[in-house]
Amino acid sequence: MICQVCGKKTATTHVKTVVNGKLTECHLCADCAREKGYASLLGGWGLEFGNLLGGFFDSGQSEEKVMRCKKCGASLAEITKTGKLGCAECYHTFRRQLLPMIQKIHGTAKHKGKTPTGSALRIAKPEYQMVEVKESALEEKKRLLQKAISEQEFEQAAVLRDEIKEMEQHE
Amino acid sequence: MSNQKKWYEKEGKCGDIVCSTRVRLARNLSQYPFPDKASPEQKAEIEKKVQAALLSGNSVLSDQFRFVSLEKLSDEEAVSLVERHIVSPVFISDRRGKGILVSEDESVSIMINEEDHLRIQVMKEGLSLQEAAEMADRIDTLLAESLSFAFDPELGYLTQCPTNLGTGMRASVMLHLPALTESGAMARIASNLSKLGLVLRGSYGEGSQSIGAYYQLSNQITLGLSEKEAVDNLDAITAQLIDEERKARERLSKSIVIQDKIDRASGVLKTAKLLSYNEFMELISYVRFGLSVGMISGVTAEELNGLSLRVQPATLMAASGKPLDQNQRDVLRAQLVRQVCAQIKE
Repeated sequence: MICQVCGKKTATTHVKTVVNGKLTECHLCADCAREKGYASLLGGWGLEFGNLLGGFFDSGQSEEKVMRCKKCGASLAEITKTGKLGCAECYHTFRRQLLPMIQKIHGTAKHKGKTPTGSALRIAKPEYQMVEVKESALEEKKRLLQKAISEQEFEQAAVLRDEIKEMEQHE
Repeated sequence: MSNQKKWYEKEGKCGDIVCSTRVRLARNLSQYPFPDKASPEQKAEIEKKVQAALLSGNSVLSDQFRFVSLEKLSDEEAVSLVERHIVSPVFISDRRGKGILVSEDESVSIMINEEDHLRIQVMKEGLSLQEAAEMADRIDTLLAESLSFAFDPELGYLTQCPTNLGTGMRASVMLHLPALTESGAMARIASNLSKLGLVLRGSYGEGSQSIGAYYQLSNQITLGLSEKEAVDNLDAITAQLIDEERKARERLSKSIVIQDKIDRASGVLKTAKLLSYNEFMELISYVRFGLSVGMISGVTAEELNGLSLRVQPATLMAASGKPLDQNQRDVLRAQLVRQVCAQIKE
């Protein structure tokens, strides 16, 4: 049997996948199979992507197959092969394709735990733009005032209290 | 720098079983490609930025850390970093563009351009998961003041490999389980642990073998569980393992076969003129066991931990400042071991 992708070499990898209830079979040579990510190093990936990629072959050229991350140039095949993403933006570009695999690894795809807050920069969701989340000058003064009081630095506290009063009046 | 006691020379909680605790956070700078895709110039920029964030004048930690460029180290010094658990074995396989920031007592290290841009790592003696996690959290918060970490509200901290997504936190404890190993219980335990979302590995982490009944237990899942939940889970299971190991030690220490192994081990360590590292680890394991059940006295578990770290091949060479062949290492190792073990009383 000849490889369905390159049409040259002998097919050695045979993949059966069920896509939308339809059984699809594809036959690949070793090189093409590796390129499609079937010979993945990371156990479990091959299967997940097998489903995805299996579906692509029927419709011939698929957009997703050749889609590359705009920022780092990584393709889905590359990510599947190495088990590593190219950059943070890849998680955005290939999100739909990656989610099933992420769920398989962790059992969920919903983060729980620390988020970069305080004065850290955060990536806002839809546009991935940088939004600065910062303690306002007034909040900072109030915090310093509490600290000064607790440390019995009353002179400094008096200065801060006056500054806060002034700031609040201007608001 | 050398006057201060290193973390591994201190006495820790449950030190008879838990040698050390480690918490590691994976972080990436949002504006750069992940390390495998980053150019040498980008890696250099990343290194500069992380250094500046930690060592700049207004950082509270600036005078506690020093920067070590891996490119400038000898092979022995680099491998010694792995042996002292400051960096991972993968980290030194290709040292170009890589660096670490290390605290004075070596308990905190930040690997730059490992699998992720930053790997913040905190090591503690004995069982100390909560403290180590808190420390790692504080350093992360401090760094986040000047660095912008890649984060997604759904997927958490973004990492090069999706297995670290979410908290990016891997917490682990280094366990010494001679009695459970001796009684053949480890295979069953390892399979049970995997059902609880934990992994049991050899002492140098992924892919390494267990020598002398030392194991590393760590959390597997990083997404969907908060840092606290993951640490509490690991803490609770470690407590159960400690309990099982103590019971097994109690039971086994009554056996003449084990008593014989312990006394023979200490005898060899006190007198040997040549000691390979593997032989040393097998024997010291019995001595530690004997110490915990009161069969042996005169040394502390911490002295034995410190010794175990010092006699590792590369650390031995790095300390003596010159390359040594295996025979020379075995002679030197036996010397160091005899010095410490001379105080042992059976």
